[in-house]
Amino acid sequence: MLEKQQLERYLSLCMRSQADFAEIYEEEELSETLVMLDGKVEDVNRKTVQGVGIRLYKGVQSVYAYSNESVPEVVEPLIRDLTDAIGSSDKDAAVALERVAYENRHPVKIDFDAVSLEDKTHLLTRATDAARAVDPRIVKVQARLLNVRQKVQISNSEGRLIGDTRVRTRMYCTAFGQEGTNFQTGTDGPGAGKGLEFYEEITPEQIGAEAARVALVNLQAKDCPSGKMTVIIDNAFGGVIFHEACGHALEASSVAKNQSVFAGKLGQQIASPCVSAVDDGTIPNAWGSQNIDDEGNFQQRRVLIENGILKSYMVDRLNGRRMGMASTSSSRRESYRYEPTSRMSNTFICQGDASFEELFEGVERGLYAKKMGGGSVNPQTGEFNFSVGEGYLIENGKITEPVRGASLIGNGRDILLNIDKVCSNLARGQGMCGSSSGSIPTDVGQPAIRVTSITVGGTANE
Amino acid sequence: MNKKLWIDYALSQGFTSFEIYQATAEEKNVAWFDHQMDSYVTSHVLGTALRGVLDGKMVNLATEDASDEQMETLIADMLRQAAAITSDDAGIIRSPENAIPLESVRSWKEPAGPEVQAALSSLEQALASYDPRIIQVTDLSWERSRSVRQIVNSNGMDLRDESCYQILMAGVAASDGSEVKTAYKIEVVEDLSAFDQSAFVKELCEDVLGKLGAKSLKSGSYPVILERKAMTSLFSAFSGMFSGELIGKGISPLKDKLDAAVFSEKISVLDDPRDPQVLSCCAFDDEGCPTRAKTLVDVGVFRMMLHDSKSAARLGAESTGNGFKAGYASPVGVQPMGLRILPGEKSLEELQTALGDCFVIQEFQGLHAGVDPVTTDFSLQCAGYWVKDGKKERSVTLVTAAGNFLDLMKKVTEVGNDLDWSYRSIACPSIAFSECAISGE
Repeated sequence: MLEKQQLERYLSLCMRSQADFAEIYEEEELSETLVMLDGKVEDVNRKTVQGVGIRLYKGVQSVYAYSNESVPEVVEPLIRDLTDAIGSSDKDAAVALERVAYENRHPVKIDFDAVSLEDKTHLLTRATDAARAVDPRIVKVQARLLNVRQKVQISNSEGRLIGDTRVRTRMYCTAFGQEGTNFQTGTDGPGAGKGLEFYEEITPEQIGAEAARVALVNLQAKDCPSGKMTVIIDNAFGGVIFHEACGHALEASSVAKNQSVFAGKLGQQIASPCVSAVDDGTIPNAWGSQNIDDEGNFQQRRVLIENGILKSYMVDRLNGRRMGMASTSSSRRESYRYEPTSRMSNTFICQGDASFEELFEGVERGLYAKKMGGGSVNPQTGEFNFSVGEGYLIENGKITEPVRGASLIGNGRDILLNIDKVCSNLARGQGMCGSSSGSIPTDVGQPAIRVTSITVGGTANE
Repeated sequence: MNKKLWIDYALSQGFTSFEIYQATAEEKNVAWFDHQMDSYVTSHVLGTALRGVLDGKMVNLATEDASDEQMETLIADMLRQAAAITSDDAGIIRSPENAIPLESVRSWKEPAGPEVQAALSSLEQALASYDPRIIQVTDLSWERSRSVRQIVNSNGMDLRDESCYQILMAGVAASDGSEVKTAYKIEVVEDLSAFDQSAFVKELCEDVLGKLGAKSLKSGSYPVILERKAMTSLFSAFSGMFSGELIGKGISPLKDKLDAAVFSEKISVLDDPRDPQVLSCCAFDDEGCPTRAKTLVDVGVFRMMLHDSKSAARLGAESTGNGFKAGYASPVGVQPMGLRILPGEKSLEELQTALGDCFVIQEFQGLHAGVDPVTTDFSLQCAGYWVKDGKKERSVTLVTAAGNFLDLMKKVTEVGNDLDWSYRSIACPSIAFSECAISGE
């Protein structure tokens, strides 16, 4: 990381222009991925990323430069390029930085880089063995272990100098089940903002067995019926429905340019009264948590929806200027190669008071989505889609047989209003969220919810 | 980075062969919004990837600090990685081969900053004024990228090539008062001063206006046409099926299908990384293996799979020159390049006429989640229009198309003639199918 005096010099050069704000983001990231297929270690990849991103604002205009070299011979020409683009000036623009200290909310107990590769591959062996032990129909198992340590330092023309170290780990297991010519997969991929102590809480055996269980369910599943029906979406990664259908449309990157179905709706009813939702980047050691956002502001807990009423957007500094709002510390980016923008952290629907059994009462024919896959949304039209990883038919209030190949589609404006029951079993699941500032770790979450009507796409025509 | 020093040191530490891959990228991007420059991004990044073979195993490491002071530390890391690998796959670093250079058909002319801003401003104005139902120019940007790739290894390979592109991207939103629809378009622009703005504006605006008034469709099984953009995206999602790596691992649907009929006999598939129409065309892959054209599917029969050195060795075959990285830091994997379904004779309009009543799918959403590459099952949100008696009747949205890709590809009734590469490395023409399951109302 650059020394304070060097940063002050760079920032002063940046501000000797028509810019009204300048920021330097530095990053050093070490990541390693271990891949095991059928008990054999196929790949061990380690990667070191380091670089610097420099951003200047003039009103709502931004200019950004990045490089993986931070020496003056590289950085100063980049700054000149930026100041030329935003407009030069001779104004006196000395910047004095003051380092901000704070207590780390996300301590790590077992540093992955201090553990031998042999011990880390053993974690994958445990997951593989557990998956295979579930049933002889599990014919192939792939297990991946990802460990990341990202150090950042952010300084700006307002004199702020602050750093953060983000550590995360995730194990992703795919089990392949086969019965005759029927070949199906099941996955499980929990993670956290922790070191390898995470695998003492959720063991590799649990991860492997869960992947195998889903593969076996899918072997037995029949084609999913199509059409509009009541859908009960279970907790944890089921929260991807809120992430896609609503979360992205509450990011200032969409709202500020009036490119969201929820633009201009603060204080209005956008969801059923039983729905409250939060984006909380402060949860200790959660997958989507940080001490500070990527503009150097302390992370926050943001109440987005309270009893169906829209309370807040997720706002970064630049889009906050367009909206006349303060940042909510929601600025995130994958790396120095991306200009940051407003993004989610750990986003979830708050728990309600319905029992799990109550959700099924009165449902003559519907779909129970126990595990969700990924999805996507167009924030401007509100149209979203996501896939169901493990689903079951609901017939006369009971879960009956498993179905596969289902997708759910709809419009975010409608879906939140169609949630009529929220259960009390809140849990979160881990995912990677892709958007204009790259791919970042985010938690999605919810208790089980019931959606009275949603279009289910499946292969069975009934 | 003193490459000879690194290679000599790696060999002295026990590696039997060693390779240094470097990629330098310089990019500029100007975005325009609401009558002014919205953002300007410039970058210069050098990435280095190291590969070494030790005890027959391949070790990979990537770094953005390849200063000579890091050499001993990083190579010690690689030695530890090698000890952890237990795979039976043979690590192979190639020797120099005769890669015939490509003759470029592109003539890039880089515009000055004011010319870019003037072009974006003019384009914004033209898009916004095309029709009163266009409510916003949502995205507008110009991007120029230049990159240099170099592969140097202990077997005497020393390859280098350069690539460049300039693209213009625009997005618009339209509304009829009750709903909002969006569309975008990306165009490769060699010379901004020769850019056909009016054709670009017309195509993009007609695309978004055509989506207004869309309704769902009653669930059922219908004849469908996958318009070329939709067909390309679906085919891309399943293109891994041709990978010799996945076939060797037993997780490709084409496992044990060599020389078997897998698609309709109307379908032939070619992979040609040397095709100059492909923006990312190249004379050699990321292992330095010369590239060449290959027929993968010939009138429906699966004839050839794609290989890099590792997957080829596993199956006792030769690399097809398809060892590519997803970025400088990624390990080499099997990837198609210049992959296409060969076009037929008929236009999209003739395909519609032939089917009479059908659903034309123009775009799929959620392709990263709604497909199973092993079983080829898919269930995807899609949009397009309904054709009645060969003519567009109305727009369709919020429906899903579902099925099994291998099954679908046996139901081809006609292949269109409208193959178009644009910025893509995989392309398909529009294709008509006898039926596909559609879920809607």
